[in-house]
Amino acid sequence: MTDTNFSQSSSSIGLNISRVGAEEKLQGKALFANDVVLKNALCLKALRSELPHAVIESIEVQRAINSPGCVAVFTGRDIPGKNRYGLINKDQPLLADTKVRFVGDPVALVAAVSEDAAQTALSKIKVEYKELAAVFDPEEALAPGAPLIHEKGNLLGKRLIKKGVPDLAFQKADIVIERKYQTTFVEHAYLEPDAGAAFVDQSGRITIYASTQNPHYDQVDVAKLLGLPENMVRIIQTATGGGFGSKLDINTQGFLGLAAYLLKRPVKMTYSREEAFLCTSKRHPLKIVYKSAANKDGRLLAIDVKIIGDTGAYASYGLAVVTRSAVHATGPYEVPNVHVESVFAYTNNSIAGAMRGFGVPQMAFAHESQMDLLAEALAVSPLEIRARNILRLGSTTATKQTLTASVGIGACIEAIAPHYEQIKKSIELTKTKNLRGVGLGCMMYGIGNTGVQNPSTAQVELQPDGTITLFSGAADIGQGSSTVLTQIAATELGLDSNKIDLVTADTGMTTSAGATSASRQTYISGNAVLDAVSKLKEMLLTEAATMLRTGRASLTLKNGRIENISNNALFVTLEQVVRKAVTEGIPLKWQGFFDPDTTPLDPDTGEGNPYATFAFAAQLAEIEIDVLTGEVTVTKVVAAHDVGKAINPDCVKGQIYGGVAMGLGFALMEEFAPGKTVSLKDYHVPTFSDMPDVHAIIVEDAEPTGPYGAKGVGEPALIPTAPAILNAIADALGSRIYFLPANLERIMKAIHSGTSKPLKIKLMV
Amino acid sequence: MNQENPQDELADLEISFTLNDSQVRVSIKPWETALETLRNKFGLTGVKEGCGIGECGACTIVMDGKAVNGCLILAAQLDGRTVETVEGLSSNGTMNYLQKAFLDKGGVQCGFCTPGMLMSAKALLDECDQPSKKVITNALSGNLCRCAGYVQIVDAVEEAALIKSKDAEDQAVNR
Repeated sequence: MTDTNFSQSSSSIGLNISRVGAEEKLQGKALFANDVVLKNALCLKALRSELPHAVIESIEVQRAINSPGCVAVFTGRDIPGKNRYGLINKDQPLLADTKVRFVGDPVALVAAVSEDAAQTALSKIKVEYKELAAVFDPEEALAPGAPLIHEKGNLLGKRLIKKGVPDLAFQKADIVIERKYQTTFVEHAYLEPDAGAAFVDQSGRITIYASTQNPHYDQVDVAKLLGLPENMVRIIQTATGGGFGSKLDINTQGFLGLAAYLLKRPVKMTYSREEAFLCTSKRHPLKIVYKSAANKDGRLLAIDVKIIGDTGAYASYGLAVVTRSAVHATGPYEVPNVHVESVFAYTNNSIAGAMRGFGVPQMAFAHESQMDLLAEALAVSPLEIRARNILRLGSTTATKQTLTASVGIGACIEAIAPHYEQIKKSIELTKTKNLRGVGLGCMMYGIGNTGVQNPSTAQVELQPDGTITLFSGAADIGQGSSTVLTQIAATELGLDSNKIDLVTADTGMTTSAGATSASRQTYISGNAVLDAVSKLKEMLLTEAATMLRTGRASLTLKNGRIENISNNALFVTLEQVVRKAVTEGIPLKWQGFFDPDTTPLDPDTGEGNPYATFAFAAQLAEIEIDVLTGEVTVTKVVAAHDVGKAINPDCVKGQIYGGVAMGLGFALMEEFAPGKTVSLKDYHVPTFSDMPDVHAIIVEDAEPTGPYGAKGVGEPALIPTAPAILNAIADALGSRIYFLPANLERIMKAIHSGTSKPLKIKLMV
Repeated sequence: MNQENPQDELADLEISFTLNDSQVRVSIKPWETALETLRNKFGLTGVKEGCGIGECGACTIVMDGKAVNGCLILAAQLDGRTVETVEGLSSNGTMNYLQKAFLDKGGVQCGFCTPGMLMSAKALLDECDQPSKKVITNALSGNLCRCAGYVQIVDAVEEAALIKSKDAEDQAVNR
């Protein structure tokens, strides 16, 4: 656990600055998308397919148009640009043109004077369908003769990772364990249903207020849908009530843009919770066949992993999940021989896209279960088998990337080890009515997009009054990027963080910072901010040195002044420098840029350096099971996360607590049935009462290329929790569950599977 | 919005109640929910709609001292009652002890559940001086949060309870 020491005066790095925007949120003043009031705005509602796969024969809209209060009804034919969008593959129509591909596919859009009028108009649209055979399983979708969902075929994508000679290693191994793991669709369940509002400004630009994680991407795809140049579309992110990946897609933005553009009137659209369930992207369900080989000392020799994923009707971020799940198949372990094949297919299920972790939470469930199975078979402790195999400095990953810095998995395991041993002992010593167990979950996570460029930009401007404005395209969706970026800028400029004015996530005011995804904003946008601010700082020091007739090296920035390090009576203020800069035509606004150093993956072998840095984590879960009901109570989670450097420890902990909650839901209760799950009554997320005692431990193995050593934590927070809980369940029951979520039914089946401990215990009782 | 919706002309119920310390009077539809009335007629957009069926708690308001879901209460039921929303917590732009505790303990992430959380916590602390952790989690268990994992929210309510009891002690001493 190293701690980078920056002896900067007035540094706010490592301080728990209150979250930017929190005061407005606490007073009910923060404007979320549905709170934006545009005068005389029309209400938009989409008519959605109730069939999973059908050809549209006709759409009759006249009765709807004639209904009171209805202003317009749009179909696919009304889209002026190209009726296809998507984060990677442009395969999704804004409004169906020839056919529908899942229950929830939008077919028509109504604009009306009120919500009631819109609802009435919707009910009057008549669509004639010719139903097509549908397919709901990715393996069936790839079989010969399967119904064709897209013209180019049902294969979304495939990724191979090859390292060493796995076949030989499997032959020589002392032990080989192969299991099949399965997960279901999972819903993001952000508290704020998707919403937005739009109008055409005086210059004719379509201005869209949206709940989004991805304003600059939204701008590009909305412009393409409308056939407009990008600068004719402006996206302004409103306060965003959570996203977790699903607000990376265009949800309401395309509809808003279309109606505002065609009607030249303000419009508003708010998804019902039902629509947020049915129509937005989900976590991919994966089938994972995982084969591990080890020698009798518990050293991993090889893995052979086959991943089959269901991306549903459209690709969304699916292709990124194909690759990221494959790249992360080893977990945080050094495996000399690797073969991974990841294949994803289209089906007529709901869309699966990005959800916190991009396939890694599913993979961690598999690799961590495998580690415990190996440990058990070899009579090594779960802690020990992990410690023997973890990645270290100099290790190579599955893609043959050599790790040269900031590999904190060992430190994370060491941090939770005493807690693990203590709980283990307590379980052995205390007899309880309920079964108790403890389990481990470890993970690695590559920060930023996989093997592709994903730069961020930022600007910092010194204002005439000496104040500082920071411009970043990064969308803060609650995780705290605005706070972290402010802290970085303030620290570099020797200011308190409340002295920085921040402008974010408005395509009219900021340049792209890339998506708020892949745990990338602290590392990538943090570095872009650092770059911009360093350039401003250079200018300030240079000018101040001239003004003070001294060397730059003797100066420092502190409290809005540039002063002599050894004599703070010698100083100039920022205002004084501005005055000089203005008269001499010296730039006041500086541009920053950062793109992580990566290389693309080889298409045949997967070889490459897909990430510039990795986050690591180890968690333990302690659980109790009521053998009569199958109810699992998670009593404690200890979560150690190597974040490089915690710029704001409370924000880091907030991410860890939230990740643990989401991981607990993934482990025990969350299962989305496409076309069926439509409300929070059918879909349970963890409540206050479900939360264990969570002990968050921040490990700081500084990343030399990170801002102040920082990496990221957003997705890592969630990844180890479900594996730790599932391993704890196996520890308690003596039998293992291979299907998530481990709901009551699956727990009861495991209890009564005949091979588990509880039957014996019950007999003894 | 009223001019836009022809049906609003047909409003046929008039109610009056105390809203955040002010006496108010308003015309409503018989089927209108308290959530709709507070948001659309009074512009109190701090009252959030997360699900519309009483599952998420984002629209929690305090009615006659009890935390209730604004989406499950008809506007007509507000008649004669005392209603508090998140907008009523601050006075003259200064946050109250509960809001400050949320800020201090990092109890806010995306902020969409925050107004409802605050109102549930307020109803609890108005009634109970030093609630245990268990009492807090029970009282707030109707409020979902998807970002924060609840930990810092519980910390914030505990902190608020401490501040409140300390303030009460100070007042007693000064008397």
